[in-house]
Amino acid sequence: MMGKLLSAEFMKIKRKGIWFLTVLGPIGVVAMQMVNYGVRKDYLFGQNDDRWGYYLDNIHSFTPLAIVLGIVILTSFMSSIENETNAWKQLMALPVSKMSVYLSKFTVLSLLLLISSVLLLLFTLAFGISLDLGGEIPYDGLLKYSFYPFFAALPVLALQLWAAAVSVNQGVPITLGIVGVILTYAGYALPDWLIWKWPLLLNEWEEPIINVLLGAGTGLFLYAAGMIDFVRRDVK
Amino acid sequence: MEYIVKTENLSKHFGQEKAVSGLEMKIPKGEIYGFLGPNGAGKTTTIRMLLGLMKPTSGRIEIFQNDLKQERLNILRRVGSLVESPSYYPHLTAKENLEALRKIVGVPKQRIDEVLEIVRLTAAGDKKVKGFSLGMKQRLGIAASLLNNPELLILDEPTNGLDPSGIIEIRNLIKSLPSECGMTVLISSHLLSEIDQMATTVGIVTKGKMIFQDSIEAMRMFAQQSVLLKVSESDKAWRTLLGRGMKAGLDNGIISLPEQSDENVAETVRGLVADGFSVYRVEEERRSLEDIFLQMTREEQAG
Amino acid sequence: MLTILKSEWFKLRKSNIIGILLVGPLIGLGAGIGADIAEAAGMMNEWYMLLIYMNLPYAVLFLPLVTGVLASLVCRYEHQAGGWKQLLALPVTRGKVFAAKYVLILLLVLFIQLFYLAAIVGAGLYKGVADPFPAAIIWKSILGGWVAAFPLVAMQLWMSVWFKSFAAPFAVNVVFTLPSILAMNSEKVGPYYPWAQPFAMMYPATENGDIFFIPWEQLMTVIGGFFLLFYLGGYFYFQRKAV
Ligand SMILES: Nc1ncnc2c1ncn2[C@@H]1O[C@H](COP(=O)(O)OP(=O)(O)OP(=O)(O)O)[C@@H](O)[C@H]1O
Ligand SMILES: [Mg+2]
Repeated sequence: MMGKLLSAEFMKIKRKGIWFLTVLGPIGVVAMQMVNYGVRKDYLFGQNDDRWGYYLDNIHSFTPLAIVLGIVILTSFMSSIENETNAWKQLMALPVSKMSVYLSKFTVLSLLLLISSVLLLLFTLAFGISLDLGGEIPYDGLLKYSFYPFFAALPVLALQLWAAAVSVNQGVPITLGIVGVILTYAGYALPDWLIWKWPLLLNEWEEPIINVLLGAGTGLFLYAAGMIDFVRRDVK
Repeated sequence: MEYIVKTENLSKHFGQEKAVSGLEMKIPKGEIYGFLGPNGAGKTTTIRMLLGLMKPTSGRIEIFQNDLKQERLNILRRVGSLVESPSYYPHLTAKENLEALRKIVGVPKQRIDEVLEIVRLTAAGDKKVKGFSLGMKQRLGIAASLLNNPELLILDEPTNGLDPSGIIEIRNLIKSLPSECGMTVLISSHLLSEIDQMATTVGIVTKGKMIFQDSIEAMRMFAQQSVLLKVSESDKAWRTLLGRGMKAGLDNGIISLPEQSDENVAETVRGLVADGFSVYRVEEERRSLEDIFLQMTREEQAG
Repeated sequence: MLTILKSEWFKLRKSNIIGILLVGPLIGLGAGIGADIAEAAGMMNEWYMLLIYMNLPYAVLFLPLVTGVLASLVCRYEHQAGGWKQLLALPVTRGKVFAAKYVLILLLVLFIQLFYLAAIVGAGLYKGVADPFPAAIIWKSILGGWVAAFPLVAMQLWMSVWFKSFAAPFAVNVVFTLPSILAMNSEKVGPYYPWAQPFAMMYPATENGDIFFIPWEQLMTVIGGFFLLFYLGGYFYFQRKAV
């Protein structure tokens, strides 16, 4: 059943600009550094001898914001596709379980974000090479900075999908998303337990993998909570 | 009798409001069941519960003799539906809309062209639904409901927004479904005339309660003539009739006698004349179904 | 015009609007309470320090982003089931409807700014800031932030009458707002980038030496110019929009 639902979901997101945003996100993050390095390359090169590492840090200064905002936008889009003409009722009157509908939405969103992550890796690598940073290309750092934020952001994804799927007024999940992105923005000064801080990959043990594991675990938990609530509700 | 849909004591409350209460719906196989009721009666709420979109506050639903709660997916595989205003994805074409549903119900691709043909949308199949007229969207909704060759078709106000020829087309389509495809149809409406032209069984609901449920013939029995008498001193005459143990009504100085044989009418008139009343007029009143419907729903409200 | 405005407000009341208005000031309050302003002691009026801490999340991200939510909320009912048709079939001109919606959003933003003012005072009291309250600077910050939102609101209203969903105008908003994090640090671009203006206008600076300080006249021309551009863009789009 999941296969059928997924192919239906991918059909529905055509022409909505969703694919465009999936590509735009990583382009934007790297473009920000293109501008940054374009304007003051020499200054930035002088900041740190490990130019690749410093470049990746710069890239990573926007990735968490982009991923959190991307989640807010994509979840709201996914839900507006069904909300617009109240197609939830048509979808749920088909022989599909509510759980699988919810799971299919979550899966599509995860796949889109993963695609963004892959693109981020490619764009980061390409621009990094073109910058002629010198030294070895730090592939493990590149992988970390491209994929860890995705896993660390899974709780935010689960929460936003939940809010977007059950809200008639999409102003509510979007406002929640704004609060979230501000917490991410100010995350370095905030306590470690806040899920919005996790995509920054900061924690008191300085082990980014903790954020990944916590993200996956908490994400699963919030996903289950959202799904149970969604299933419990009457279809609008 | 084999019931395709059977509800027991079905109720749905929204806070204080009892949208549906104690509904016992029985739809025999192969029937076109007209589900009638004024605005806000609880038709859509009932239909949503039949499709598992809403959980009943209490009561049970059996469809195809299976409990809906336990067998929802297996039941829905054999059901087609259109609830309230049609749902669609405006940014997709009519064909893509149906394709998105087809992928889930898993019927052959050609079925899309078939259903588009049935609702006469073939020409607009590759147009985005965003630009459709109300009636075209309604047709698309009906096409979607037919996609999986359902055994039970549930249509909530399906002729909404259709032009006269569209209404006739859809009506003829619905009428042909039981014989040609062995379908059972549940169709809701607040227009009695519409139900009258299609349904074989009728359920009338008002304020969440079923006030009538029987064959359309039984319903028409209500429509049989009553006899109206215009007499002098109608009030006194009426009481005299009641005194003789007859059923009679009095409305605006007109006495009405329900369902009387010719002899009974003759007898009554003779009696009145013998008692010294002048009989000015004896006429037959044919009540339309509309009147009956109004009366039924009004009685319910008064009671 | 006033009647349209009243009816717009009436429609909005049931949209969790109060909650949405309070969110930003509460974030500011949180930032203020959490701020470490002790380092400023003696060097600078502590209120300035507090304001700088609070402004960072509030003026850089919250204020620009929330204009989009408000604009979408104000158009929400019209996008549902033929609402534009219903509204524009009334004896009102499109120009007035657009203006009324615009003014309403501005009023809402003003409310937010005033709540934010309360948040500043609240955070200061909580912290026990002893320095004299620099009323002029803080009012300039509050009203300046409001004025800086004029072009952003116009842009978002344009996007919100255009797109049905909340997500699409919000995506546009995000695309323009995120770069302001870079732009505000740049002397060359910062002063001309509309989405960086709320932060610039709310920055409590008086001396010319401060890199974040931007001349008032320049801000007014930039803000005024972009306001005209976006407002007219939205206005003409709305005039021709098929409903
Ligand atoms: N989600 C809901 N929340 C609260 N009340 C509801 C909800 N859905 C329906 N109702 C109420 O239940 C009652 C029945 O509504 P329903 O939509 O079933 O009527 P209907 O018979 O379909 O009417 P119509 O002919 O107008 O379509 C109404 O009074 C309505 O206000
Ligand atoms: Mg209804």
